[in-house]
Amino acid sequence: MELAGLSTDQAPPISAPLRFFLTAPLFAILAGFLILLSESSTLFSRYSIESIAITHAITIGFLGFVMLGALMQMLPVLAGVKIYKVKIITLYSHIALVFGVVFMVYGLYFSSPFINLLAAIFLIFGFLILLIPMLIALRDVDNFSPTVKAINTSLIFATISILIGGYLLFGYSSGTITHIHLIVADIHSVWAIFGFVGILIIGVAFQVIPMFYVAPRFKPFCKRRVVHIISAGLLVWAFLNIFYPEYEYIAKTWISLFFFAFASAVWVKLNNRRRPTSDVTVWYWRTSCIFMSIGFFAWMFNSYLDDEYIVIISIIIGGGFILSIMIGMLYKIVPFLVWFHLNAKGYMNIPTMNEMTNKKILIVQFVLYLLSILGFIFSYFYPDILVYSALSFILSMVLLEYNIIKPVLVYVKIIKTKPDFDMSAFNMDV
Amino acid sequence: MSTIQEYLTADHRSCDELFASMEEAASTSLQAAKEITKKFIDASERHFQMEERVMFAEFEQKTGMTQGPTAMMRHEHEQMRGLMKQLLDAIEEENKDRFFGTTETLMILLQQHNMKEEQMLYTMAQQHLSAESDRIVQMMDSMIVE
Repeated sequence: MELAGLSTDQAPPISAPLRFFLTAPLFAILAGFLILLSESSTLFSRYSIESIAITHAITIGFLGFVMLGALMQMLPVLAGVKIYKVKIITLYSHIALVFGVVFMVYGLYFSSPFINLLAAIFLIFGFLILLIPMLIALRDVDNFSPTVKAINTSLIFATISILIGGYLLFGYSSGTITHIHLIVADIHSVWAIFGFVGILIIGVAFQVIPMFYVAPRFKPFCKRRVVHIISAGLLVWAFLNIFYPEYEYIAKTWISLFFFAFASAVWVKLNNRRRPTSDVTVWYWRTSCIFMSIGFFAWMFNSYLDDEYIVIISIIIGGGFILSIMIGMLYKIVPFLVWFHLNAKGYMNIPTMNEMTNKKILIVQFVLYLLSILGFIFSYFYPDILVYSALSFILSMVLLEYNIIKPVLVYVKIIKTKPDFDMSAFNMDV
Repeated sequence: MSTIQEYLTADHRSCDELFASMEEAASTSLQAAKEITKKFIDASERHFQMEERVMFAEFEQKTGMTQGPTAMMRHEHEQMRGLMKQLLDAIEEENKDRFFGTTETLMILLQQHNMKEEQMLYTMAQQHLSAESDRIVQMMDSMIVE
């Protein structure tokens, strides 16, 4: 059995996840400015170049970066795996992905085939250089818990979605967008959002919600089967979407019902949690559950409306359900990492996690974020509010960046002083 | 009789319950939480010692790994002991912000520590020590905290 996660010298240095976490809000700010400069009619067309660019600034730039950072941190703890040369591959992956997203936005906006080609190469390289070692490391895990199984499944969907995404972007670089591209684009987006992100969130929630909130555990059936059921649903959906599109609503209903069941289960467990504290991270989980339930029902019924509302549904699912969980998680993980790494280096006088952030600013950030998502949804019907929603979103992401940089500055300040105890024997990387 | 893995995992859960009761009491007043905080710290100390003095010692003897995972787990126990002392200090100072700031840190540290033990170390210990499982559980159960 691999025991790498049980020693700090094998765990990733603090710079590995932080690099990804601190970059993520910057791409969300970029997306906010792009929305601010766009016409609402263009944004509400799913295949407009602007929509694709903005969507990917959020999905890769924000969600992708946060998930990769979190995976690096969680895999040693949850599965005991050691990722091969983690320090160097996170550095290369981070650089490649930053360039990849910037090139993609630029290449799409300015219709540059060469830049799009570069974007595809950088993005595929940046993702795979991390995902492949993670998948390889997971093969050696003996105790394959439901959470580890879910992570493994999610990484497989991620790898396929990224390769398909690369193929689509190559299409933009060669100027050959055909009917096949549109079908493939459907599979790319559904598998990336529900297969990669959705299944990852479900798997992590199995572990995190009962443990961190002292809430009731998920039922064994749920833990053992739900990931298989959703994965099968996604495969059947792809098959129907290609060959029998008139029946795809069956698979959509199947997938949606299980996500809805999951959202309800999380809500009930949070209600029955033993810990009384209700902080902004609990609000984020709850917000996420509400958007998840609405989003999946809307996605299911959208089949009957010729997919007219797909952009609104994407905002509800991507912006409401997924973004909420990611932000809530950042507020827990960043201050903890700072505390943990300082303590492991022998520093004893460290501010508590709560002292590293300003509670009022966390709440303001949450309110601005919520207003912006609601604003984006309603701007489909009232285009005038798009500008205000974009401004609110930009401001909320600036505050998010501030809220997570603040603990990192605490780390930078303390690390310059002399530790209270010499912990060099534990040999931790910075 | 339960296995080493079952016994220690169940003990994690009962410490979690005490942790939750401690926070519940502290949300009313820190003085009201004093007793339950001590109870939580005692239960955690007992758990740490059951591992350090019995299970880890047996594991290290059997596998010859003294600087491996058990050393890391001992180190994390020390980190948690430090935080638990800060909880008592916060109660003495009547500083609610500090108390809940410390419980937040302690909770995450505790749970990621528990995950590592339950996912990996206990499974591995169970494999190596299965023949002596009953004896080790009995020793842990009857151990007197130092």
